[in-house]
Amino acid sequence: MEADGVVDRYAIGGAVGATFFLEPFATLDVDIFVSVRPEPGSLIVSPKPIFDYLTARGGKVEGEYIVIGGWPVQFLPPGTPLVSEALREAVEMDVEGTQARVFTAEHLAAIALQTGRAKDKARLLQFIESGRLDSDRFRAILACHGLDGAWRKFETQYLGDEP
Amino acid sequence: MTFDLQKILESKRAYRQSLAALPIAEKLRILDALRERALAIRGETEAGRNASKAEHRVDHPINNGRNTDRN
Repeated sequence: MEADGVVDRYAIGGAVGATFFLEPFATLDVDIFVSVRPEPGSLIVSPKPIFDYLTARGGKVEGEYIVIGGWPVQFLPPGTPLVSEALREAVEMDVEGTQARVFTAEHLAAIALQTGRAKDKARLLQFIESGRLDSDRFRAILACHGLDGAWRKFETQYLGDEP
Repeated sequence: MTFDLQKILESKRAYRQSLAALPIAEKLRILDALRERALAIRGETEAGRNASKAEHRVDHPINNGRNTDRN
């Protein structure tokens, strides 16, 4: 889609993105973050070109998803500066000879902290336990996006020595 | 086999680490299987919940046959 100009850039995030760094966990869909430009003559960014492109190649639209290879895929615009940065700095990874672009472990962990649902906190703990995080890079991302306070709270709640 | 919680937690951690260390293609195949399983569990749960709701609607005198399901 990038090569054909449908999207400017894409990267895999969410649980599938995290699976590139951690153990696999059950998820029902794939989150793909995309940067797209508005169509000519429009100020509104629409996922329609993505859907049109993929349905022409066998994808099936189901609500907000498009089903590809049996997986519901959701295309998401970067909703925060942190996710925009994650998309810009995403890395290429090899999947049996096919290149896939994925958010870095540090960005996935920072997004989990920012999102803050129970499952995100669990995932952040998994990232920390995995030893896959570059802690300097992670802390720099947190500082840049105003997440220091959230991190201190998380540390106190989940990483403190006291029960 | 042991009931030593520390050992159990260690073995869980080791298992998770071994899964995390698999090649990504293998992990994606596991995701496929996990998704199938999650959908199967969800299907069972939904079916059970719907059956229970239907039963509730029929049996509960206050309902008087009205459908109170707002999900």
